[in-house]
Amino acid sequence: MTTPQYTSNELMAVTAAKRLENGQNIVVGLGLPQVAALLAKSSHAPDLNIIYEVGVINPDPLDSDPGVGIADPRLWYRNDAFTGYIGAMGEILQKGLVDVGFLGALQIDRYGNLNSSLIKGKDGSARHFTGSGGAADMAALSKRVFIIMKHEKRKIIESLDYLTSVGCYKGKNTRVEKGLQKTAGVTVFTNLCVLETGAESGELEVKSLHPGVTLDTLKENTGFDIIIPKDVPATAEPGAEDLEILRKTIDPNKMYIK
Amino acid sequence: MNKVRELSDIVSEIPNGAEIGLGGFIINRCGIAFAAELLRQRKKDLVLYSMMGTMDADLLVGAGAVKSYSYGGGSLDRFGRLDRVNEAIVKKTTEIKEYSGLALALRFLAGTLGIPFIPTKTLIGTDLLEELMKDKDCVQMGTSPFDGDQYLFVSKLQPEYSVIHAQMADEKGNIVIEGPTWDLETAKAGKKLIVTVEQLVSNEYIKRNPEKVTIPSVYTYAVAVVPAGAYPGATHKVYDYDDQALRQYAKVNQSQETFDAYVKEYIYGTKNHAEFIEKVGGAGVLNTIRADLAYGYVKGKVVLS
Repeated sequence: MTTPQYTSNELMAVTAAKRLENGQNIVVGLGLPQVAALLAKSSHAPDLNIIYEVGVINPDPLDSDPGVGIADPRLWYRNDAFTGYIGAMGEILQKGLVDVGFLGALQIDRYGNLNSSLIKGKDGSARHFTGSGGAADMAALSKRVFIIMKHEKRKIIESLDYLTSVGCYKGKNTRVEKGLQKTAGVTVFTNLCVLETGAESGELEVKSLHPGVTLDTLKENTGFDIIIPKDVPATAEPGAEDLEILRKTIDPNKMYIK
Repeated sequence: MNKVRELSDIVSEIPNGAEIGLGGFIINRCGIAFAAELLRQRKKDLVLYSMMGTMDADLLVGAGAVKSYSYGGGSLDRFGRLDRVNEAIVKKTTEIKEYSGLALALRFLAGTLGIPFIPTKTLIGTDLLEELMKDKDCVQMGTSPFDGDQYLFVSKLQPEYSVIHAQMADEKGNIVIEGPTWDLETAKAGKKLIVTVEQLVSNEYIKRNPEKVTIPSVYTYAVAVVPAGAYPGATHKVYDYDDQALRQYAKVNQSQETFDAYVKEYIYGTKNHAEFIEKVGGAGVLNTIRADLAYGYVKGKVVLS
């Protein structure tokens, strides 16, 4: 059997999708998180409940007109229920019903804290982006957080330019001491590897390395000394079936998986 | 009681310095007609709140009409950013207070319920909260008398005006929103709710379909009928967003100079929203973005390249 060809975005989406479990409730943002969630729902997790913060529960679009964001009816003209922001982010998320908050980010630090607000230049300049939206809420109130982002030294970084969303705060028990509720942790799917915060340490460690990626490449592209356990396994390659669903049904125009 | 009035008439009574809660979400049901009319009437020192920022607030901040803007983040989705707001944050030219979406929604909910604050576990430990804590009227940490645990208390928000855009209302101000209803608390929290609608329906229609009413008339102060009032954004099931117009705005708002020229030509240079739409999108543009009712948008239209 030959291994199918795939892009790193496809690998990220498939790897993240496999970690979503049937019956879970997840809040998702646009882009690869949404692609991964729809893939999981189309394969091993048909009862995955996908929630958009705008007030949409279980979007199920049949036609794949690519939308521009979660306020775009292209994503939810067909779904199970509409609600409001408090309905989604208060009555479902804050109530504690969300298993996974699934996000993108501009930067992440070693404790899985996220920046989606502001990037500082070396010359003292700054650039402001989207801000939190529901990101800070999802990180604070979901049981677990998934992140998909590109693996670059300036993104996976020792010290954030701005802390928008709390992961494990300063590690160990500091998140709870600060007044936040417990988290099961942060899992990061990058184009090089999967990272996950340790249960005790709250610090990111390498969970698996993508096929063909060396530890040297990983270290070169990480902005801090990442914890590398002994015998890091290789990430499983995406199967032909998953790739076909991605390419034919979920993202036929290759907006996200290219 | 007939609450239907001209938009320009309603806006004329809003004083400089007024507090206004805005209801749009990124590119859907944004109060563009309302924001543009505030600008045409040269309102200033406005204190704005929106859970999710859209082009309306970006226009008002960019044109210098705003004293303070509180929001939970915002963008033009994949078309671009709210760069007039972003620049105001970086250059500190206008006071911008950043929340998360839920934190600001909870402040509106407290206002809707008429209670002084709501405890929550969001925002704790973030740089957002670090900044917000400088104003004790908005947020404070506190202890729950029931479980003894630490919570963030967010104070109630009851702005003088709330303004939302909706699909329909009757003349009494019973409001029908189709699709997700992210702005219910924003609408209900305000002391006076102003709604711009696509279409006026009869009270008889409402009486026969009361389950469609998302906001009953008890909240409503005034109704303005403004077709395509969210243009160039979308109104679900009525019209799609105009991707070209949003792309154009996402380009001009990147610098104050091009933004100023845009506002001068398209807002100060037009008498009302109908003229604005024609000038931005060209005559007949609304025919090209009319929604397919089975979808709520223009089926098959390519909006991204």
